[in-house]
This record gives sequence, structure tokens and C-alpha cells, in this order.
Amino acid sequence: MKQKLVVRFLMGFTIVVLVGSISLLFAEEKKESKKDPIKIGALFALSGPASSIGTPTKLVAQMVTDKINKEGGINGRPIELVFGDTESDPTKALMVAKRLVEQEGVIALIGPTRTDSGMAIKPYIEEKGIPTIMTIGGDPVIAGGKFGSYKWTFKTPQRTSTAVRKIYGYLKKQGIKRVAIIHATDGFGRDGLSWLKDIAPEFGIELVAIESFDVNDADMTTQLTKIKSSNPEVVICWTIGPAGAKVARNFKQLALPMPLIQCHGQPDPKYIELAGTAAEGTIMPSTKLMVANQLPDSDPQKPIVLEFIRLYKDVYQFDKQYPINTHSGYAWDALMLLAQAMKKAGTDREAIRTELENIKGYVGVSGIFNLTPEDHNGLGTDSLVIVKIENASWKLLEM
Amino acid sequence: MLVPQYIVSGITSGSIYALIALGFSLIYNASRIVNFSQGEFVMLGALFTISFSQEQNLPLWIGAIASVLVVTLIGFLLESGPLRRAKSKNHLILVMLTVGASIFIQGTSMLIWGKESKTLPPIGGYDPIRVLNASFIPQTVVIIATATVLLVLLSLLFYRTKIGKAMRAVAEHPEGAALLGVPVKNLVTLSFGLSGALGAIAGILVTPLTTMSYQCGLMLGLKGFAAAVLGGFGSFSGSVLGGILLGLMESLGAGFISSTYKDAIAFLALLGILFWRPTGLFGEAKTYRV
Repeated sequence: MKQKLVVRFLMGFTIVVLVGSISLLFAEEKKESKKDPIKIGALFALSGPASSIGTPTKLVAQMVTDKINKEGGINGRPIELVFGDTESDPTKALMVAKRLVEQEGVIALIGPTRTDSGMAIKPYIEEKGIPTIMTIGGDPVIAGGKFGSYKWTFKTPQRTSTAVRKIYGYLKKQGIKRVAIIHATDGFGRDGLSWLKDIAPEFGIELVAIESFDVNDADMTTQLTKIKSSNPEVVICWTIGPAGAKVARNFKQLALPMPLIQCHGQPDPKYIELAGTAAEGTIMPSTKLMVANQLPDSDPQKPIVLEFIRLYKDVYQFDKQYPINTHSGYAWDALMLLAQAMKKAGTDREAIRTELENIKGYVGVSGIFNLTPEDHNGLGTDSLVIVKIENASWKLLEM
Repeated sequence: MLVPQYIVSGITSGSIYALIALGFSLIYNASRIVNFSQGEFVMLGALFTISFSQEQNLPLWIGAIASVLVVTLIGFLLESGPLRRAKSKNHLILVMLTVGASIFIQGTSMLIWGKESKTLPPIGGYDPIRVLNASFIPQTVVIIATATVLLVLLSLLFYRTKIGKAMRAVAEHPEGAALLGVPVKNLVTLSFGLSGALGAIAGILVTPLTTMSYQCGLMLGLKGFAAAVLGGFGSFSGSVLGGILLGLMESLGAGFISSTYKDAIAFLALLGILFWRPTGLFGEAKTYRV
């Protein structure tokens, strides 16, 4: 008797599940044929240490998708973003990328947030042939050589080497030769260090001291003291996030007489908030977003940057929670580039990839993109400006 | 010429570790539990103070007191909720519960305060004090003074009062203590509340130096834990000295050898000391008659 009941229950359950899943399938299909959206996967760090960068990137991705869809989408078809959370973890990033491609069937990917996450998903997307526009700082993803081919991988943020050249170019004009470096020991910091070392001879710069710190350290005065004793003309700090502000404070605490230069990851109101008065006088390379109003009217990027700021601040009001920083535009540019390629190439992955490689003169928020099969970033030093913090605001120092 | 600054820098980081290590030792002394949520108490203390003082516009000191009270309450709740209601009283399981609580608190804090780093103004400003060739900001002095005062208060509490005696009895043998009429549960709850307060004070004081966000408690907690192990788990003076020693090892390692390997140097030294004295510098080796 009892067994019969169990059998009946099991049968009933099976039927319910079957009917349920079939009707779900139909529902899914209906939706598909009605709107026929193009699915794009967007994976960012929505939790974990990099989430303060990943979350606003996601908001901007949605904002620009709405804009593209309002303006007619991709030849009439709307873009549908499918989001994934990398949890700031390379392993999770790879799992999310696989899920987006294999279960959600996305055509292309944008993201992830961190260089190590980018490196983790790269072999997979290269093997599968998924056009991917990354929003990460580090260069290895599109460096080739020992880092593997980058046929399918693109990225919108400036290369580290571009930022390094911008800084060294500025120093050369000032006649500065003796430079000390303090960098974080994470992937971002080490990437910066290797470029700072490699490019220094090109500009006749001598690195007189190289020190490092962990981003969680409370105090960097030991390293800065060592740097002080090497007597450099300027100190370059290479890190992203609150650690940069801690370096600035320790810098002031020790009353180091030379200027402090931060990397292109630091132009962010948060830096001024966390470093307080110690932020005064810091020099850094930045995208034009931080000094939009100070740009000359002849700058072709000015209208785009102002439009971005208007949407971000006035229409969507993300500014209250995530004040605009130098990185805000990367997801905008990633999706705009993808949309531009898809308008010509449709949804064939190989065609999108080829089209992306040949985009010339796209005027974006982060710069004017000129991509080639060799250069999967397309931004030069002209996409950055040198800014200086004065009276707790950003001053355009040099174009 | 460089050494004074190395030492000051080491003491600055070390005093932070020391303050956090005290909270670990307090709970351990009263219950033999290692509370891995201790770092979260630190984070909560800081973030509540930031909310009270910067969003509710209360004066900083009122915000700080309110925050300490709130985190004390959270300490009470942690003990009287999940830990007391756990079916197993096995210490290992209770320790795992504190790990779970830590993850829960982190996640909730992320939803409440968001993911951005925040900071508090330091007591006495950012203007450095110069001694010999070293400079430090007044906050460092405040942290060391607080750690010393707390060290004295805790030692008095545990070794000079009846409550302290009862707490030690509970830790040594809960059943025996209960038979003698010691209110075991209340005392354990009290110790969690107190270490919540300690953590909150630590958080409020270190934030001007470290900045704070929802995930900072974890790293601070781990360093505090290492400091407590180094000094001898459960010893208050050991916690403070262990913290400062850990900070000094990091700083001198960075200064004289290499800043790239400073964490490795500090942890190698930690391992070396633990080989030499497995109970930590001030830990008492317990011998039992069988």
C-alpha cells in the first residue's frame, strides 16, 4: 500500500515537472520571437573587493544599452544584457563566462572587472571564439606573445603602457630624470611596474628606488622612508583603490618634498575624500571625464563626454551613489564599439570580430578609438590628460 | 637614520593588530572559542560611527559611543542567537559558526553601506609629530594609549574581580562552574558583548589610518588573530606585545630586506617563534594529570 502511494506520487510529480518545463519552453520561445533581442553577456565584479568598480560599470552598461535600444537598437533588434557576477574572483569569472555563453547563448561578452579575471576567461573565449570587449586595466590580455593570442579579445581602458608613456612624457617636458616607484603587489601594481621599468629608458628616466606594499597595509611609511633616502625628483605610485590615498597621507606625514604622481586608476573623487588635504598637489593621468568642462571646444570628445555626464548625473542619477570617475566610460565605449560592429556585421561572431578590428575614429568617452588587427585597444596617449588636484578639485594641467 | 621611521611605522601597524588581538583573547578567555567574527566587529564599529556622524550629523564622540553600544548588542545577539542555539557544543563547530556569522555580517554590511571605502577624521588631525628622524600622526599615540588602557582594564577585570574569576572558571570547566552556581550562559554572553565593544573601539580608532569598507574586517581580523597567536592566545599583554612585534617584523622586514616579501618575512618569523614556543610568547603551557 505504502509503496503504491510512493509510486503514484512519483508519477504525478514527473508529470507535473514535464508539463511545467514544456510550458516554460513555449513561453521562452514566444518571448524570443516577439522581441528577438540580441543577447550580450556582461560580467562584472558585483561583490568582493573590486565591486566598487564593477557595480557602477554594470549601471553604465545598462544605461548605454537603453540608449542604443531607444535609438533603434541593432538594425531594429534590441540588445538584451545578461549580467553575471564574477565576485572579484578569477575562477568565478570563468564559470560565469561559461554559463553566459553555453546556457544563455550570448553572442558577445563585455567585462570582466579585474585583470586577473580577464586573464582567467581569455583562454576560454579565445578557444570558443567569442568576441569579448574587456573593461580591465591590465595589458596582458591583448599583449600577445607569452600571454597567448588575442584574436577575440579587445579592451576599452587605456593600456598601462599608454598611461606610463603619458606620465613619462610629462616628466620629460619638466626635465625630470630621477624617479622612484612605489607599487602594489597585486596584479595591477605588478603590471604597472613592469611597464614603468621597460619604458623608462625611452624617456631617459632613471628609476632610483622601487618599493612595494600590500593594498591592505595600514602604513607605508617604511617604504616611503627608503624612497626618500634615494632622493628622487618625483615619486610614482601604482595602485588602484583606497591604498593610493593611504600612500598620499603617509607621503604628507613624512613631508616628502617632491611631487607625488598617481597612476591612471586614481582619478576618482574617492581619492580626494579618503586622502583629504594630503591629496592636494597630486598629479595623475586621467581620461577627459574628470575635466570635461575645462576641455577646449575644439576637442572632438567634448560633446560625447558631456552627453555621458548628463545621462549619468541628471537622467539616471547614478552620481549620488557612484560619483563619476576616470573609469566610468569604459562600459559605454565597450557596448558602443560592439553595437557599431554589429550594425554592419549582424550577429555572426567572426564577422563582428573582423568589424571590431577595423573600427577607425570612433569618438568615445575614454578617447578616440583606432583599432587594428594588432592593436585591440586603439587608444593613444592623446586620450589621456594630465590633471592635478587643487583645492579638492580636478585641474587640467596638460592635454 | 632610517631605522627610527621603520620602528615607528612598525609600531603604528602593530598597535592596530594589538587592539584587534585583545578582542580575540577576551572571548577565548571566557569561552575557549576563537571568534572569527572579531574582524567584523571592527568593521561594524567603524561603519556605524561613520553613519551616525556623517549621515545623521551627530557629533563624532556621540556617534562613536552609539556605535560601540550597537556593536556590543550585536555581540550579545551573536552569542545568544546562533551560538547558544547550536545543537552541538563542540568548540570546533562553534568556531565554524563564527566564520559563518562573519560571512553573514559582511554580506549584510555590503547591502547597508555599499562597497565604497570610507574614512573617519583622526583625533588630533593629520599634522605629523616628529621625533628623531621619524614622523607619525597623533592617531598612532591614541591607538597605543587606548590599547594600554584596555589592557590594564581587562587584566583588572579578569584577575581582580569576581566576574572575571567566574569567567575564567567558566572557560576552564563550564559544568563545574555551573555546579558551583556560576551563571555560565550570562557570562559567555557578556564576554561576547564586551569583545563586540572592544572590536568597535578598535574599528573607530584604526579607520583614520586604514580606511574602511565592508570587506576590510576580514584582513584586519586575520592580522589580529596572528598577533594573538604570536603573543599567546588568551594572554592580554601577549596580545598587545604580539601585535606590536608582528608590526615591527613587517616593517623591519620591508625596510632592511625587501618590501615585496615583507609579509612572507613576518610570517616566517611568526612560524619560527611558534616552533620555539608553541604556546606563543606569553601563553601558558597547560599540563594535565592523567
